[in-house]
Amino acid sequence: MQHDRNKRLTSLALAGFMALGAAIPAVAQDDVTIRMWALTNPNYPEFIAQAAEAFKATHPNVTIDFQETPNEAYKTAIQVALVGSAPPDVFFNWAGEDSARLVRDGLVLDITDLANAPGQFGTTIAQSWLDTFSVDGRIFGAPTDAVTKYFYYDNAFFADNSLTVPATFSELLGLCTAIRAIDPEIVPIPLGNSERWKMNHYITLMNERVMGNDALRADYSLTAADDALFTNPGYVTAWEKVLEMQGAGCFQDAPNATSPEVSRTMFSSQISPMIFCGSWCMSIFDGEGYTDYSLFRFPPVEGGASDGNSNMVVPQGLQVAAATQHPEEAVAWISFLTSPEQAAKFAEMRGALPSDPSLLGGLENATEQFKWVAADMASLAVQFNVIDVEVEASVANAYLDAGVEILNGTMTPAQAMESIRAAALAAKAAMQ
Amino acid sequence: MSDAISGRPITGQINSGTRPVKRAQYSAKLSALILLTPALGLCAVFIFIPAILAIAGSFFSFGITSREWQPAGFSNYTKAFADPIFWTALTNNLIIVIGSIVFQIGIGTILAAILDRGLPRASTIFRTIIFAPMVVSAVAVALIWQVILDPNVGALNAIIKSVGLTPPQLGWLGDPDISIWVVLMIACWQYTGFMMVLILAGLQGIPKELYEAASLDGARGLKAFRHITLPSIRNVLLVAVLITTIGGFKVFDLIYATTQGGPANATQVLGTYIYLQAFNLGNMGYANAISVVLLCIAVLLGWIQLKSSRRA
Repeated sequence: MQHDRNKRLTSLALAGFMALGAAIPAVAQDDVTIRMWALTNPNYPEFIAQAAEAFKATHPNVTIDFQETPNEAYKTAIQVALVGSAPPDVFFNWAGEDSARLVRDGLVLDITDLANAPGQFGTTIAQSWLDTFSVDGRIFGAPTDAVTKYFYYDNAFFADNSLTVPATFSELLGLCTAIRAIDPEIVPIPLGNSERWKMNHYITLMNERVMGNDALRADYSLTAADDALFTNPGYVTAWEKVLEMQGAGCFQDAPNATSPEVSRTMFSSQISPMIFCGSWCMSIFDGEGYTDYSLFRFPPVEGGASDGNSNMVVPQGLQVAAATQHPEEAVAWISFLTSPEQAAKFAEMRGALPSDPSLLGGLENATEQFKWVAADMASLAVQFNVIDVEVEASVANAYLDAGVEILNGTMTPAQAMESIRAAALAAKAAMQ
Repeated sequence: MSDAISGRPITGQINSGTRPVKRAQYSAKLSALILLTPALGLCAVFIFIPAILAIAGSFFSFGITSREWQPAGFSNYTKAFADPIFWTALTNNLIIVIGSIVFQIGIGTILAAILDRGLPRASTIFRTIIFAPMVVSAVAVALIWQVILDPNVGALNAIIKSVGLTPPQLGWLGDPDISIWVVLMIACWQYTGFMMVLILAGLQGIPKELYEAASLDGARGLKAFRHITLPSIRNVLLVAVLITTIGGFKVFDLIYATTQGGPANATQVLGTYIYLQAFNLGNMGYANAISVVLLCIAVLLGWIQLKSSRRA
């Protein structure tokens, strides 16, 4: 009797273990964790947290594990992670060479079919935006937002001193001179180039204003003939325009020793009446409580090939790692983040421009400046990327170094272009 | 208990058989091996294997995300020796090493002597104040000094202007002619306290009788410092030089957080240049070659200093 009861208990226990064993894989298969990496940005974790919660409504089994990393550290960390054993499923990247290199190295998943499935982002985002993360017609990422650059100016200072927004580059130089005449101690446009990329944005704009976007394509993509590569005299002229700005007293004495943060603070604390800053600066200034500013586009250069109805626009987005175990859930998550509702929330919470700017008109909480930028971006005839994102890394580095040397007066514009051309020729030879 | 001549355990001989002795030796070796295994394993994983991979990688051309490694022979090494920025970086490392030895150990020795002989009562307070920068991370130190040295809102420029002098026009960290010296000064500010504590420990180990005897012979003050103090702390100084030299060659964080090797590579050191090549420019093979050169320099200097300390 006792023996039978033990036998029954043993059988019951075995059956229980078997049932449990059968159940565990089912639960494990259903529960999916999407690991997502992105840059550190104000209010972005809050945006992701609410989106992850809302995503649960349609994907209750998916958990989002979000990790943010500061700018410079991110550039290294993402490369190391993607070749490691545990890469993130979804990660932030810039469109252009940064994205294209990872595609060439086979580290990014081709998500064309998943993205073009009904309801996914390939069917909702405009083709021109999709192209920013496409290679040979295949989709390798979703553009989520874009950053651009404008001159910001202090409304009160301009009104008090009867200053007007410049319509040409010469007028911009005149504005710097006028501000210095008001008070020689005032720096008209503080430039924080200690990390080198600030001057790179100036020269990106200056090249386009002098030579026009089309004239730059073959050089930037290193497809121009060797004897023509970066030989357009407009490149030297563009650097000379930078020196003209320096000569007109636009910048402070030591831009290479000034950090971007200090230059921004000089504007937001009204020490300086202007700054050339990214669209991301709006949320920074607003967060610091400074809102009495307006914006204008980089003016056209007289005699230049560009009419000025163009601007630097750097698309940013999300890509899926080639090693992900959950491609469908990853694409569904990206599609959810770029959906109209979430894009509107993104604009509101981050103060950044989402990949569908047409949504922005209805935003009630957006600032006037934000609405102006959104409208201005929508009116651009030509958009172009920033040099250090667009060109090959060693050429970008040569441009970054040249900017420092030009500002320090240790290199002439002609010498700068010689070093850039040498880097471009070497990079082109290495690619062949 | 052991045999004074052979050093073997006497118990083994008393047992009159060779097997227990061999077993004991075997057991001791096995124990040593088992105890060493975790340390050897960690060294292998974090030092030996990466070093071997770096040496192997230096003969290839590849990026961190590349799928294929292209054989490059010695081209990465010839490229390094022809690269002016490599030589700038190496020169900057040497400036930091020599400058740190002169200033950190020199000032550290003077401060230690003052605290040991001149200010024995208040020495704890001063020692703590001078040592404090050492416990702050290099990144935080860099941020503090960036604020102090800022050409627009920094305290140093304000002080210099207030006494009627003119600060450098391109900024302390923006002028390629002075920026490496400014970084050296920041490094000295951070590490002199550590050198002082190290040397102070050496000074406090010198018997007072030596000074009393020297005093009777007429050797006081600087004479006593030169003939008694310095020879007595020679080993401590050698350790300090060793630490400073190795630190000077492997410096990275302070430079990266302060100038990122700029302006225009003026403060580039081998560590930051390796990082630039590996992670920003995607030249992993070239970065490996520079790493191997740095490794050879470090091993050579370590060997020379080890020899010196043994001789001492």
